Amino acid sequence: MSELARKFQRDLNAGLVALVLLGVLAESDEDLYGYDIAKRLQRAREGDPLFKEGTIYPVLRSLAASGWLSSRIVPSYSGPPRRYYRITDEGRAVLAEWRSVWRETRDFVDQFTGPSPLTEASSQDA
Amino acid sequence: MNAADANMPRSIKEYLDSLRAALEGADPALIQDALSDAETHLRAECAARPGETEQAVLQSIAQSYGSPADVAAAYLEIDRTVQAALAPSPRSSASRPPSTPQGAVKRFFGVFGDPRSWTSLMLLLISLFTGIFYFTIAVLGLSLSLGLSILIIGIPFFIGFIGVSRLLGHVEGRLVEAMTGERMPRRSPAANTSGWLDRLKNIFGDLRTWTTIAYQLLALPLGVIYFSVTVTGLAMGLGLIGPGILIMLRSLALDLGLDPDLNIQIWGASPEPTSIEATLLSIATIVFGVLFLTATLHLARWLGRMHGRLAKRLLVSAAA
Repeated sequence: MSELARKFQRDLNAGLVALVLLGVLAESDEDLYGYDIAKRLQRAREGDPLFKEGTIYPVLRSLAASGWLSSRIVPSYSGPPRRYYRITDEGRAVLAEWRSVWRETRDFVDQFTGPSPLTEASSQDA
Repeated sequence: MNAADANMPRSIKEYLDSLRAALEGADPALIQDALSDAETHLRAECAARPGETEQAVLQSIAQSYGSPADVAAAYLEIDRTVQAALAPSPRSSASRPPSTPQGAVKRFFGVFGDPRSWTSLMLLLISLFTGIFYFTIAVLGLSLSLGLSILIIGIPFFIGFIGVSRLLGHVEGRLVEAMTGERMPRRSPAANTSGWLDRLKNIFGDLRTWTTIAYQLLALPLGVIYFSVTVTGLAMGLGLIGPGILIMLRSLALDLGLDPDLNIQIWGASPEPTSIEATLLSIATIVFGVLFLTATLHLARWLGRMHGRLAKRLLVSAAA
């Protein structure tokens, strides 16, 4: 990935990380801790991760501060204590809203950048 | 990104040092959160790959976890956005300078509408009781540790006392943040080391352990001062407003069931109970009382803010 592409990815991630984290926690039946979530995201995609694992922690914390996630600390025998997160009802409501915003945005963007002859032609120009 | 890979730290300690350097100048509580998150994650990563050296793990983490600069940027970005979202709160609007005399008046009395002034007032009032508690724990712990040090039990007792003291420091931090809005670490001070000996070494080498005890000793005298100042201020203010209202009502010839012969002195004068002087004097008394009460609230809010800063200096490690 080029440096420009990386920067574009970072800009995109600003809001998406929170959406993905809420999604991961809403899908999960059990509480998850940061490292676990990071590994789930990593497993979901081959190659370079879209998000740096280090960048999900501040987002988790800010989601918890907003009351969209609840958290508890559990001591671990194998290492440092872990903070487990669970999505709250308020978080689920936010996720539902954000999900529809994301779908609309994605469909809209796809109209212009999807695999249409128009885009193919313009990318060849460039 | 090759340059960043070359600079990628080779050990967890190096990583944390670079992260701390990258966050230089940021809020100490944010730095503590970021370091704690990173250390927890990196240690979990090392634990998950037992066959590999720390250096090998950290090199492979360069891509997945992010360089210290990337991670620092993420924390600063989120903190900035959160701060921006909180900006219209009364606390930050109160710190803006008044542009007009009207604004100044509004700002002076706006203290009643600022939740921070009431929470600060609460903090100052309970600080006497928490202060007594912290002071007792600290003095009891220190003196018993010293006294028991001739016996073998003195050592575990001292370690237990230090643990309790650190935990209390964290709880106090949460309380102070809730009451004054001063940002304190959201993580408990986890000693992120697997060996208990290393953990102990970290705890005793951590300056914050000792500043926390200092804070607990300081909590009692400060609590006494805060409590006396606020109670005096509140009593003076309310003590002027209440009787002022009574005298005014009586001066308006309302039957309050007061002894008609009761002669009240205000400001060294004892006007006729139903005279116009009594009304004017009572109004002056009420106005003075309201001003006094407002000033007390301003003082409480200011003291709360100062106390928040002090708590942060003593209870958050990166600030030391």
